[in-house]
Amino acid sequence: MIQHIDDPIPPFDDAAHEREWLVQERAMRRERLQLDPAGDDARSRRYRLLARTLREPLPDVLPADFAQQLAGRVAATPAPRAASGSSFESTLTLALATVLAVAAGVVVAIYGSAWLPSFLTILPTPHAPTTRWLLALAGCLGASWLLGQWQRHAQGKTD
Amino acid sequence: MDDTRSSPDRDLVDAVLANRPGAFERLVREHQGLCWHIIQRMVRNPEDARELCQDTFLRVHQCLHQYRYESALKSWIGRVAYTIALRHLQHKRIPLVEHSGDGDDYALVENIGDGFDLEAACANEETARHLHAAIEQLPPLQRTLLTLYYLEETTIPEIARITGLASGTIKSHLFRSRLRLRGALETRTGVAA
Repeated sequence: MIQHIDDPIPPFDDAAHEREWLVQERAMRRERLQLDPAGDDARSRRYRLLARTLREPLPDVLPADFAQQLAGRVAATPAPRAASGSSFESTLTLALATVLAVAAGVVVAIYGSAWLPSFLTILPTPHAPTTRWLLALAGCLGASWLLGQWQRHAQGKTD
Repeated sequence: MDDTRSSPDRDLVDAVLANRPGAFERLVREHQGLCWHIIQRMVRNPEDARELCQDTFLRVHQCLHQYRYESALKSWIGRVAYTIALRHLQHKRIPLVEHSGDGDDYALVENIGDGFDLEAACANEETARHLHAAIEQLPPLQRTLLTLYYLEETTIPEIARITGLASGTIKSHLFRSRLRLRGALETRTGVAA
């Protein structure tokens, strides 16, 4: 945020410049209100002529249907919220993860019979001590993941 | 201070974000004059100005969800237009302000030409054309500030929000521009300033 925008308008250091500024401002206001120029001095009358010229509309304008054309152009694009932010990215990530999981399932179904038995022989038996430690590790990882999901969900609600 | 949380702004922004029919068209129609005045005065070329106006509203549509009601919607959109025009000038290497000749402008503070015939000057189309040419010769920033101040009737604090310049800097630019134009007017009517 810009900090200086609400600063008061400072007077000029030079008193003559400040007087001239006040003449310019007064002439602008009088011209805006279309007041009778009879009482204005020569300097004010010059500034009023400037004001009149500066208030004339610019010669070139936008096409009459500019707003309509632009609205039609943006109507084809997604809504501002939907098109931006993390929601689009998370939807895309979810779609890619689903495709990957389906592809993995298909590969296992087709080629699994050839190499799954070799893997089964190296897996620990259900009653071995290694299995209990592996189950404990998986439990810790699962609990940690669930906690992370819960925190993210709670944070999303407060935003 | 403006009422930056004014209901019309909020209603319009909510309607555009909700994709209500006609809302964005209304937003464009309400603010296209301001954008045109800023961009046309900055870049001058009508073709470029029209294209930059389109870019401005496409950017507004894209970023409207980031508008936080910290300033009036008019100032926020004006700021987008000013930034886009400024980038265009930087790309074309066109200077925004002029850094010489201030002394000549200030010399006019203490002097006033004699024999200036206002009525004749007003009636004279040549004088009007000469004044418009003098306005066109001002640097882009001064042209834009004068147009915002006179034609759009934008206050100095609002201009500060649009341009990001300090109020004192805007006042100084307006002061010098008006002195210079007064000088141009007096030169045209053959009066020693």
